[in-house]
Amino acid sequence: MNRISSIALASLLVVSLGAGAQTPGPAATAGSAARGKTTFFRVGCHQCHGGEAQGSPYSTAPKLGPAALPFAAFTLFTRKPRLQMPPYSPEILSDAELADIYAYVTSRAAPVALDKLPN
Amino acid sequence: MSQSDEVSKGRRSFLLQAAATGAAAAAATAAAAQAPTPPQGAASPGASPSASPSVSEVRSEGRPGSDYMVDVLKSLGFEYICANPGSSFRGLHESIINYGGNSRPELITCMHEESSVAMAHGFFKAEGTPLPVMAHGTVGIQHASMAVYNAWCDRVPVYLILGNTLDATMRQPGVEWVHSVQDAAALVRDFTKWDDSPVSLQHFGESAVRAYKMAMTPPSGPVVIVADTELQEQPIHSDRTLVIPKLTPPSPPQAESGAVTELARLLVEAEQPLFIADRLARTPAGLERLVELAELLQAGVVSTIPNLMPPVGAGRMNFPTRHPLNQTYRSNAAIAAADVIVGLEISNFFGATNIFIDQVERTTRPAIRPDAKLITLNSTDLIQKANYQDFQRYAAVNMALTGDGEATLPSLIEAVRRLLTDQRKSTFERRGKALAEASAAARERFRGDAALAWDASPITTARLAAEIWEQIRKEDWSLVSGGLSGWPVRLWDFTKHYQHLGVSGGSGIGYGAPAAIGAALANRKHGRLSVNIQNDGDLMYAPGVLWTAAHHRIPVLTIMNNNRAYHEEMMHVQRMSNRRNRGVDRAHIGNEIDNPGIDYAKLAQSMGWYAEGPISNPRDIGPALKRAIAVVKRGEPAMVDVMVQPR
Repeated sequence: MNRISSIALASLLVVSLGAGAQTPGPAATAGSAARGKTTFFRVGCHQCHGGEAQGSPYSTAPKLGPAALPFAAFTLFTRKPRLQMPPYSPEILSDAELADIYAYVTSRAAPVALDKLPN
Repeated sequence: MSQSDEVSKGRRSFLLQAAATGAAAAAATAAAAQAPTPPQGAASPGASPSASPSVSEVRSEGRPGSDYMVDVLKSLGFEYICANPGSSFRGLHESIINYGGNSRPELITCMHEESSVAMAHGFFKAEGTPLPVMAHGTVGIQHASMAVYNAWCDRVPVYLILGNTLDATMRQPGVEWVHSVQDAAALVRDFTKWDDSPVSLQHFGESAVRAYKMAMTPPSGPVVIVADTELQEQPIHSDRTLVIPKLTPPSPPQAESGAVTELARLLVEAEQPLFIADRLARTPAGLERLVELAELLQAGVVSTIPNLMPPVGAGRMNFPTRHPLNQTYRSNAAIAAADVIVGLEISNFFGATNIFIDQVERTTRPAIRPDAKLITLNSTDLIQKANYQDFQRYAAVNMALTGDGEATLPSLIEAVRRLLTDQRKSTFERRGKALAEASAAARERFRGDAALAWDASPITTARLAAEIWEQIRKEDWSLVSGGLSGWPVRLWDFTKHYQHLGVSGGSGIGYGAPAAIGAALANRKHGRLSVNIQNDGDLMYAPGVLWTAAHHRIPVLTIMNNNRAYHEEMMHVQRMSNRRNRGVDRAHIGNEIDNPGIDYAKLAQSMGWYAEGPISNPRDIGPALKRAIAVVKRGEPAMVDVMVQPR
């Protein structure tokens, strides 16, 4: 029997990333959004954060882009998440791959105007 | 007209007479206002003890015992009865369709016993009355057991009738032996409220009525009655006079009056009181009373929508989603700020007031203020069993009121009114305004989040929820199953009790599709548009329920949440893989439902449904939904398969 237990990927990111847009750091500009997209899906970021890094209320995984934290903070939370997000060590996700992911999430499209949503 | 028709007609006339008497008694009793809805023929809780006790005398000569069983079922007011056919209840089956005229109850053909029970589960949550299920006492209940557990955890009164042959000398050699059992209810006794194995027809009648009463008395739960084959098939002895006992629904228990007064005092004196409601609103009145209480105090309410509070709730419709005092969208902040928190019919109060961290070392920390007073008002303390752990972690509280939440709210409201002063009312007004502003701001944030990745393909769960809302918002709709990552409760305007029926209770996958169709069966006579957002993995447990919907012309709009994996489980494997520093590249193994992808539209079409899809362009969703809704309005089921993102 399949089992659903709570897997809330709530984290400090919920609060921190919700704080608003920041200017990407220098390391981020070295990344490739195209490679980052591939890595983003390969290492399963989309499972909680959505394919466009838009976040999900269900897993309480925050949106990651297009506005994002500085790359240093982004790296810190990925390596040593404070709450329920699984940790990504450099052995399974290199610094270069992380920079690619950062380039991908910060290049996502801006949200559409709210009047497109039915009320 | 045949002789048997005449006999059955005469008996039904007699039962109708008895029903009228019972209904009149019910109407005359004020106490009935708080009782579960009595079925046709039921007596009221306040019926005079000097009144004639068992009034429905049935004289049956030479006819099978199962005819009497049908009379008993009719007296309980059942509209339908679900079953996958089985020889151990063949007598009862025949009596239902011939003697009973296949009406009240009408037999609903199911293709799996788990579907039968889950349909009954969904039916109850939409209608408020139980729907019985027939099954083999062996293989049937084994198939049904997962759904029974869901109903137990969700406090839903499922009424099971199990066929069995207890007398070994009466069993046909072969299959009847492997389909017989000493104690048919034993398998599910850990998660049912009551059971019995009657040894006479009169015993069956009394226990059947008792079972109904037990099932419906809050806290509600599943019950089991075993219908022995000999009792079903042997003729009723001519010298026996069988009676059908009156059903007297009990008044739900209220919390002790002194404790209610003390709770009212705490609420009136509190600076930031907060209600967390889980399975509070058993009926529409529960929702109305909670609105009244919250508005009186200008207090915040968090309704435990599972997709908003993942570890916590059942997701019943306790409070309008757009009410200014609804703080569900910002539940963490509301809980952290509250100085008095009242859990209303909530099993997992510990989970609501603490934060649990699932890392290598599992830890917990409070989510509340150190000085917060915690109070529970629930009936779950009245029914806890040891083996299965659905009662959740023990919550240390300042006050524990034991009683049915909905039944206690009127006296709590009155107690609060008595303590109100003009000064407090002025404070309440300021508090209510601040809560309304915070709630509106949270809602706007979520709308902004929904606008992200709007044109993405696969389609975002937010976009799909918005597209569905655009098509249904002017209808009388009911979300019969499906959470879609919590977006409907963020984007739709839920105001009515039947608009959100919640989740399975036991988190057993396979609940969604049959529960949705059971609820749609209940909604049919009310003319409501039943909307089912169907998870793909859930449907594949027992997709035969699609045929049941088509066969019985149960109108339901099903939108496939087709994300092609058991994503929750994939996230668990990701967690294990990363924790062990092995990477998540292979986490899809054993979790994906792809290669080949399943064509759900073809699956549904093969069982008589109108179906479209799969749809991967978000612009195609609206027109497809329009076409499907037109079919549903004709009284048939329809499906739109949509390719969506995992979350």
